[in-house]
Amino acid sequence: MNTKTIPLERKDVEKTTSLPLRPSSLVAVVVLGGLALVPALVSDSFFIHSLIMILFFAYMSTAGNFVCGHVGQLSLGHTMFSGAGGYCSVLLFTQLGVSPWIGMIFGGFLAAFLSVLIGLPTFRLKGPYFTLTMIACAEILRIWVENTNDFYGIPLKGAEGLVVPSMGDDVWAFQFTSKIPYFYIILIMLAVAIFATRLMERSKLGYCLKAIRGDRDAAEALGINPTRYTTLAFAISAFMTALGGSFYAQFFRYINPERNMGLELSIDMAVMSIIGGQGTVLGPLLGAAILVPIAEAARGTLGGSFLGLHLVIYGLALIACVLYFPKGVIHPLGRFFSRLFGLKETRG
Amino acid sequence: MTPILELANVSKRFGGIQAVKDASFSVGEGEILGLIGPNGAGKTTAFNMIAGFFKPDTGTIRLEGKDIAGKKPWEIGEAGIGRTFQLSKPFGDLTVVENLMVGGFARNRDRRVNREKAEEMSAFLGMAAKRNIEANNLTAFDRRKLELGRALCTEPKLLLMDEVVAGATPSEAGEMVELVLKVRARGISILIVEHVMKVIMSLSDRVVVLDYGEMIASGPPKEVVSQPAVLKAYFGERYVQSRA
Repeated sequence: MNTKTIPLERKDVEKTTSLPLRPSSLVAVVVLGGLALVPALVSDSFFIHSLIMILFFAYMSTAGNFVCGHVGQLSLGHTMFSGAGGYCSVLLFTQLGVSPWIGMIFGGFLAAFLSVLIGLPTFRLKGPYFTLTMIACAEILRIWVENTNDFYGIPLKGAEGLVVPSMGDDVWAFQFTSKIPYFYIILIMLAVAIFATRLMERSKLGYCLKAIRGDRDAAEALGINPTRYTTLAFAISAFMTALGGSFYAQFFRYINPERNMGLELSIDMAVMSIIGGQGTVLGPLLGAAILVPIAEAARGTLGGSFLGLHLVIYGLALIACVLYFPKGVIHPLGRFFSRLFGLKETRG
Repeated sequence: MTPILELANVSKRFGGIQAVKDASFSVGEGEILGLIGPNGAGKTTAFNMIAGFFKPDTGTIRLEGKDIAGKKPWEIGEAGIGRTFQLSKPFGDLTVVENLMVGGFARNRDRRVNREKAEEMSAFLGMAAKRNIEANNLTAFDRRKLELGRALCTEPKLLLMDEVVAGATPSEAGEMVELVLKVRARGISILIVEHVMKVIMSLSDRVVVLDYGEMIASGPPKEVVSQPAVLKAYFGERYVQSRA
């Protein structure tokens, strides 16, 4: 059997593998590394706060993208996982004195369990049916929490929400008086999420998900059980989303059903990864970097006079993106930089 | 020859239609068995029952002695049966090598090993120069070859092939015949469903003829095609009478 590859082709293979990192990984390292230096250079607290919000949404979007991008199913109910995670860590802290660091892991497992429970029957649904079912599940959870003050002795406090009592600067209690520790925490969480996505893409799971997204029957014929792999991806995604929910609760020291379980957060997560580039490693970060400043600026300048203006802007950005960059802004941008540096075009 | 695949009294009914009736045949180790018959004879139904897409109503399907009837497609894939589809189904946004790697992951978790195996397979298919092209951009015939290679990457014992040369040019058909013979030379048994008689005649060691779900003949291809029952099934009663 002829196992030799054609020598002419050998060249471009070497060209891509001779780099220590693939271009997309290199960009990720440079961007995240650069961000790590920002607090040393800028001390404006509003600026840091905005950056935290960008990183938070980038993280949530990356977590959601695990399902939306790689399985090809749009979930608009991911906030049920962030809500479950947030409530779990806050309640464990206020009721039992468990550190939120441990509480958020519990919250993650709770969300993963919830995702398997919901995913097993609903993953048979396709396209809009799945999306609608997820919205329904998330809304059921939100409305239930909003209207429940006390659940078998657990004080959920309904729509009022839960306040995390202030402990001053306490690492164990996940509380800091300065915003800078939060900045580094979310930066590390984002870096881990991006790294995990990259790792997943190259693993058996990643290839199986791509195959299932490509053609379910063909994937099955190759020995891939679609339910097993989609459920696994869904659970990982829910776990990561729940950690984000706990972070959000600790950062604002407050959690309520509308902010942590509402549809708006789900839409934010989905829109950012769609605009940035679904199913790519860096797309969600790019989407968040584009949209969060717009939203913050709209809220800051127009404030109460034009409530929900940022949603109008999201809508316009989404329309423009679907019309001109249907695969996300990252693709034309990637091509531009590849041309700039004379690299061979790579995807994602 | 010891059979690798053995069907015994397999039947399948869809409402009022008996798609396959009491079919019993086997594929020997290293054998190429052709499954032929006129349109609607039940070839694809039989094929899909072996591949696990349908559950037979009665009968057993044994792979190396183990009953696989009614198992799920991915369990059958894992058990060692690879298949191709009548309309090829490549993973369009993956490259040739990535498509082949998906097959490899069925047996092995190591990405590096799978990549090497996939590169080897692309050379085996004669597609080494196209290995970094997305499957969407391949010609119909290349997609068909890719699908064959992807199934081979799962290291099957038995390969099921559905209409391998449909829509291919004569030279492509010739290439495919050679490729299938090369696959058999690797020690893989093959069950092939095909309309093009020339291909079946040149490839098969044995053929099984189905008509209205029933097995009407089986044996070496040259002998089978001259049997009156087969001629009747393909050309009708009057053709057989006029020849007699």
